[in-house]
Amino acid sequence: MDMNEIKEIFFQECEEQLAELESGLLKLNDGDRDPETVNAVFRAVHSIKGGAGAFGLDDLVSFAHVFETTLDCVRSNKLEPTPDVLKVMLKSADVLADLVSASRDGGGVDESRSRSLVKELEALAHGELPSSSGHDAPKPAAKAAPAPAPAAKAELPKPSDDSGFQPIPFSFDGFGEDEEPAIEGSLYEVSFKPRRELYSKGNEAALLLRDLSRLGEMSINCDTDALPALDKMDPEASYFSWKISIKTTKSEDDIRAVFEFAEWDCDLEVKLAEEAVSNEELPMVPVPFDLSILDDVSAGEEETASERGVSEETVAAALSAAETASNVSRAARVAEKKESAAATAAAQNNAAAAAAGAGQTIRVDLDRVDRLINLVGELVINQAMLSQSVVENDATGTSAVNMGLEELQQLTREIQDSVMAIRAQPVKPVFQRMSRIVREVADMVGKSIRLVTEGENTEVDKTVIDKIAEPLTHMIRNAVDHGIESPEKREAAGKDPEGTIKLTAKHRSGRILIELADDGAGINRERVRQKAIDNDIIAADANLSDDEIDNLIFMAGFSTADKISDISGRGVGMDVVKRSIQALGGRISISSRPGYGSTFTMSLPLTLAVLDGMVVTVAGQTLVVPLTAIVETLQPEASAIHSFGANQRLISIRNSFCPLVDVGRVLNYRATQANPVEGVALLVESEGGGQRALMVDAIQGQRQVVIKSLEANYTHVPGIAAATILGDGRVALILDVDAVVAASRGQSMKPEMSLAATG
Amino acid sequence: MAAKKAGPGSLKLAAVLDLNEASNLHGKLVSMRGSDLKIDASGVERVGVQCAQVLLAGVKAWEEDKKSLLVEKASDAFQKTMQLIGINHENLVAKEI
Repeated sequence: MDMNEIKEIFFQECEEQLAELESGLLKLNDGDRDPETVNAVFRAVHSIKGGAGAFGLDDLVSFAHVFETTLDCVRSNKLEPTPDVLKVMLKSADVLADLVSASRDGGGVDESRSRSLVKELEALAHGELPSSSGHDAPKPAAKAAPAPAPAAKAELPKPSDDSGFQPIPFSFDGFGEDEEPAIEGSLYEVSFKPRRELYSKGNEAALLLRDLSRLGEMSINCDTDALPALDKMDPEASYFSWKISIKTTKSEDDIRAVFEFAEWDCDLEVKLAEEAVSNEELPMVPVPFDLSILDDVSAGEEETASERGVSEETVAAALSAAETASNVSRAARVAEKKESAAATAAAQNNAAAAAAGAGQTIRVDLDRVDRLINLVGELVINQAMLSQSVVENDATGTSAVNMGLEELQQLTREIQDSVMAIRAQPVKPVFQRMSRIVREVADMVGKSIRLVTEGENTEVDKTVIDKIAEPLTHMIRNAVDHGIESPEKREAAGKDPEGTIKLTAKHRSGRILIELADDGAGINRERVRQKAIDNDIIAADANLSDDEIDNLIFMAGFSTADKISDISGRGVGMDVVKRSIQALGGRISISSRPGYGSTFTMSLPLTLAVLDGMVVTVAGQTLVVPLTAIVETLQPEASAIHSFGANQRLISIRNSFCPLVDVGRVLNYRATQANPVEGVALLVESEGGGQRALMVDAIQGQRQVVIKSLEANYTHVPGIAAATILGDGRVALILDVDAVVAASRGQSMKPEMSLAATG
Repeated sequence: MAAKKAGPGSLKLAAVLDLNEASNLHGKLVSMRGSDLKIDASGVERVGVQCAQVLLAGVKAWEEDKKSLLVEKASDAFQKTMQLIGINHENLVAKEI
């Protein structure tokens, strides 16, 4: 495995951690005060920092470190996670995500933004309120915050900019930095017990101890009592534990920083030693000698040493004044630290238990899954062919072969479902991205908006997930920019000044339904209508239903925004959305109530690989009509058929009239219109809710078909969505119902031109 | 790299005694039990705690067997790591039991 692959895995994990981070923060935002949630958030940032450190991604490390420090204050209950605090944290999560993607794909990050966030985070860690973070006079101590990470992790190549920086140790304890506990020569007792995982994750206790020994004068006692007999031991387990006393000028935080990348995999206790105790301790082996031979980067040693020298002086100077104060507070702090260490240990145990409970996963290359899916598709076709030829050759129909075939059919169906389930993924990551967009856009336009998501665990095919993000983003932006009114207007209308956007995903009859509802003003129909007339989309005297007016916003080049903003309103909005959704085999519709908001409903296929279809015959050709489009089928009677205009016909169904579309005629299979009485009518739901009766010659049956792209293998055919291979090996075309319906209205047959009723 | 046998009852430690080597080393020690053993640690460049654990367990096992386990030659890195991690070095250096 080369470095790039490892890095790629790191970035994949980052994605997961970021998702974890965001969902945790959102939970906190909703009032969740479970310590495990805070821990999860903390861990996410911590892991990103750890990985980034290993790859030398310094920007990422330093930002993550500041973030982590502030989170640590929340974790230790020094900082109350108020909405204001969480706002900063959520923004920081966004910046962290940006930094991760910048590290992966190159490209820049908004530096001023991350810098100002760093300031805000540091201010929070100092116990300042977010509002007071505006003034820019960061304390020198605050500047030092990103330092302990690179400084402590001595085997990392040191970034050159470290040299100019003066590490003043301080702790984020809310006491303020003038109560610094680390004074020259304080004695700490460190108890360090690595767990098996520490080693299996590639950490090495010896290296940690080496780093620790650099902090000052160290004595060590190795507890080997836990070591079992040679023949009973597990060579990769962890038996040794250490008691270390170290005399150092560094602070407790610096000592902890040595272990920071191994923190979760060991039991660590650091405390200020009371002088009396240290003498009656177990015999210690002093480690005073030069350890430079153990260095991987022996050149780095000198640098570290000199730096240490500098910092010692600085520290001594800076802190001599604070000495008196710290002596007073020390006793209290020791007690407090013990308590917090115990709490941390308990939390870690919980975390370990939670991790063990989670399901195991493997990462598989998407190509492999796709290949498998393709093969299963072939298997389904093959199975259909086989059963067809058996049926043709075996008139009795009772043989064991038939029984076996039925079982085979069931098995293939099951295999297919399972394979599809591999590709299925929850929509959660997409929804999470949306919450960021809502935050950012709402910030930009000065609105206060809450995104509520539901059904995030609904699973959809990965392709659908990948392609749904863009249209959804568009719609969310629209909802924030146009849908929700400004807080003043909302208050005037007697609504909560905070707008709500609700994003829901659910399964419904073999499709996924994604709903985006806002509680804004709804669609201003008068304006939409006027705009449509101005843009020559409809005739000035056209008589449109409310529904039809609402659907006008899906027309190309339509925008009602008076002024074009950065966010939306360029007129390339909803028609593009509609086209993307249709390209996925989905439908989109809108319903709006003036004053109460609008709801967009997208209905998407769960998978793009198979489809339940009705196989029909039209003018001697076999076609497949997607079952999801069909409402009902019926046998027209002569009395129900009415002529309308020159060559239009209507069919009367239960006292309502419905246009009759002759599929054979629309697709140019025949020159004259067929006699409806001789065929079958399929009542289909078209875009915008209108119903049409598609006329075909006969129904052959209902079947699951494997979709083969026509575009990839041949070229796009108007009115045809895709192709499939039937049981007899022949190619059948899958009908693009909406395109056919649109064509029947005399429009040119392009798939994107399928607005329901334009008058 | 795997440690090479340099003759009956003697063991030359690999240069890098890390996590990967621990099982290897353990297997070798187990198979060599019952006779005196001389360990050559002169080529050791890096020692991980887990190999140290195995070696110390070996020392104890040999003690139990009343056989001698002797670290004949030790590199600087070997000695210093042992000292760093607080293993009483004498146990693992030329000392007949």
